[in-house]
Amino acid sequence: VRPRPPTGWLSLLRQGLTLGVDYGTHSLTALLAVAETVEDSVYEAGSLHRTADGIAFALDNPPLRVGAFAELQLLVDGVAVPAERIRFRPGEGRPWRSAATVTPGWPLEWGPGDRTEFDVRVPVPDPKARVCVRVELRTYAIPPLVWCEVRAVPATGEAPG
Amino acid sequence: VISAPATRTDGRPVVLTGLASAALLDGRGDLELPREMRGTVVECGGVIGQCVRLTGAWRIALRVDELETTLPATRVAGGEIPGGWSTEHHWNDLTIVQNVAAASEVPGVVRSLRVTNRGNAVVDLRLTSSFRPVLAPVLVEGIQPHRFALETRPDEVRVRQRAFGLSVRWSVAPSFLFVNRASWRGGHWTGRIDEVGFEHSLPVDPGLSATIVLLIRGGLERDLDVAGSAGDRLLYDPEMAARTVAEADRAWTEAAPRLSFPDAPELERGYGRACAALRRLYSAPGDGMTGLVAGYPWYAALWCRDLAWLLDAVAWLGDLDWMRRSIDTVLRYQCRASLPVVGGERGELPMQISPGPVFFYGTSDTTLYYPRLMETWLARTGTTELPNGWADALDRVVEWGRARTDPTTGLLRNGGEAEEIAEATAQIAHVRYGIDAPDTTIWDSADRREHAIDVQVLWWECLETAARLRGARGPPSGSADRLAASLRAMYPWPEEGYLFDSRRGDRGVGQVRPNALRAVSGGIFTGDDARTIVARAARGDLTVPWGVRTLSDRDPTYDPTAYHGGQVWTIATAWLADAALAAGEPDLGVEVLKRIATTLDTDGLGANECFRGDRPEPFDSCFLLGFSVAPFLTTLFRRLWGLEVDARRASLGVRPAFPDGWSSARLERLRIGAGSCDLDWAPGRVRVRWSGPGPLTVEAGAGEVTLGPGATADVPARPSHELS
Repeated sequence: VRPRPPTGWLSLLRQGLTLGVDYGTHSLTALLAVAETVEDSVYEAGSLHRTADGIAFALDNPPLRVGAFAELQLLVDGVAVPAERIRFRPGEGRPWRSAATVTPGWPLEWGPGDRTEFDVRVPVPDPKARVCVRVELRTYAIPPLVWCEVRAVPATGEAPG
Repeated sequence: VISAPATRTDGRPVVLTGLASAALLDGRGDLELPREMRGTVVECGGVIGQCVRLTGAWRIALRVDELETTLPATRVAGGEIPGGWSTEHHWNDLTIVQNVAAASEVPGVVRSLRVTNRGNAVVDLRLTSSFRPVLAPVLVEGIQPHRFALETRPDEVRVRQRAFGLSVRWSVAPSFLFVNRASWRGGHWTGRIDEVGFEHSLPVDPGLSATIVLLIRGGLERDLDVAGSAGDRLLYDPEMAARTVAEADRAWTEAAPRLSFPDAPELERGYGRACAALRRLYSAPGDGMTGLVAGYPWYAALWCRDLAWLLDAVAWLGDLDWMRRSIDTVLRYQCRASLPVVGGERGELPMQISPGPVFFYGTSDTTLYYPRLMETWLARTGTTELPNGWADALDRVVEWGRARTDPTTGLLRNGGEAEEIAEATAQIAHVRYGIDAPDTTIWDSADRREHAIDVQVLWWECLETAARLRGARGPPSGSADRLAASLRAMYPWPEEGYLFDSRRGDRGVGQVRPNALRAVSGGIFTGDDARTIVARAARGDLTVPWGVRTLSDRDPTYDPTAYHGGQVWTIATAWLADAALAAGEPDLGVEVLKRIATTLDTDGLGANECFRGDRPEPFDSCFLLGFSVAPFLTTLFRRLWGLEVDARRASLGVRPAFPDGWSSARLERLRIGAGSCDLDWAPGRVRVRWSGPGPLTVEAGAGEVTLGPGATADVPARPSHELS
């Protein structure tokens, strides 16, 4: 019943103009600020890098929703990585924890603003190729899956910054 | 499964509100409030301005020479003051009295600390005020930005994050500034900020007192330069903030109806509690917006579905001007063209609005509530013509619904909204996020596609209302009748003696949820059918002593900690009360209302959003939610008193559903148009006193009486057991 949304930059331009005309230019500024806040506040820009046996990256916030996550799954280029090959920690100097230990009884508790580093043992054959890393989380408090997808060419060597 | 967190979350939360601001605290001295949220502990304390979370916890540390402590560690007393919160602290020879209030003059929070030196020597007290900036609209629930721009000005420090900003001001200038606990000499600073700190020196002579005032205000960065003088006044007269709130609360309370139930005093107390909670949600956050926020601590924005439920109660409480402005606010953001990037279709009303303006669409039901609210406003005020802009808005609502309607059955389709927003925004982001929620009904984390029962009831009410309001220009005649016929034919679930929760494809969705009760309240199922549905909902798999679950515990997907898959919601409990009273089951209806009233009156439960399905314990719950008070209030007036107000025809219907055995009940200051009336009920009659400018015709089931201005008359009433 509902028409599929039109795609493409022309459509976006049309929508932007409509917003500006119907609701004032402040609406464009504010909506853009919200979009940028979300986009820039989760994935730590430039943190995706190659390691000796895979990739690593950091998230500065849980993706969209906080909570006690009882399921954690990670996909690289659409392929699920076994949980025992994924580990995470709140920051440097803190102990790593295997994703295989994430269960309803011992969930990953992730609050707003909490930075989390991920280390993934996964083959990345082409050092110059862009990879798509997708993190999926599920909390029993609100079951629908929450996800975050980053597409970038991993930097080489130690994590930036 | 997830158990209650061990971290301290037992303190009673305190929420202080002005019309554009809020302070969230645990009452011990600082603005800190750790709360369980989505199964983990989240710091919810701090300052909210213009629906923007300005700060995380805002703390004050104390130092004298080498001795250090915190404000909460020195607390000896604390409690509510009119319009604010006060704590008293003792530390060595110092007594500190702190008053905290959310301001109405500016979107912010003011703290004043009066320090008295009871010793014999001068004390140089160093207070360090610190907080983590957040500066994100509350709609971005799980995100705290890390990068900010910081700037010192002659008498303030400003923090900015894109279009959002805050200002910190003081009555005693700081001696030192800190960023991330390192000293900062001021100027401009941009980068990652986890904490901003201000050390103030406050020398206090023996036997004397000194006062320091701190103000944090903000929201939209562009508004920071507006109302600067109001901030000045608050620094000189910090008690003004609390006085303003207290005076506005007093005036509102005095204008609201007064209810008296001698046979059910708990309902009377529950009414008082619910009114006080509702009042805290009033909001005029800026950008010309008026409404009520959905709740605290994490839904402090105008959520238009929640607002619709709240406005029903606001109408009964007689605040019709606020209702009108709130409806106007929502209609102003009605989508006038397809806007997939914010999830909007032409005619759709927004899911959420906050200053900026920031607004998003994409629910399957919000739009459908507003035609009935328009009609309610007309009926209560006695206005016969739709206000400017409402008629066109109403037409667009109907068009929006018709575009989603199955041409054969008349059923409205729900689902797929979140998916469409994700698809529309995919091309403009290099990092993508999403929630795989397939559906956006009131239980928006549950998959209730494609024709959820409560959405159909709303659509039916919408069509009926539009037909009444628009006459020949309304929806084609028979649309509502065809939909009602489809509901009666396609939703009965004989094996359960209940209604299907939804229809998907050509089959009914066999889940026992409370949403079916809305079809009874709407009048689509009446008589024995209605009583059967109510009786089924009242069984123990769905209804427990602390309320009604969102899903029967016999369902294979039931989970007592799942938001919409087994938790108890007070709004669902109110639906049971409402449907029971509508179906002519007053004993059950009143019993359920008493349960809600008792919950509202119980510390630790109160106006919580939801509770675990297996025990009466809040879980993943806003501690103050409009959903948990407004439907209760509405049911007291609409169903228990059985009131039908139509000031356009100067008429009042009174069909009380008081249980047999009740001997009296009283209602004062019910607003009807330009007048108000008082009702005194006793078995067999209602005594009415009318203070309006013209005549009022009152009908109470066994007779009709017309009263002139200032008149009092007895109207014969039918016993509740004769109602159905």
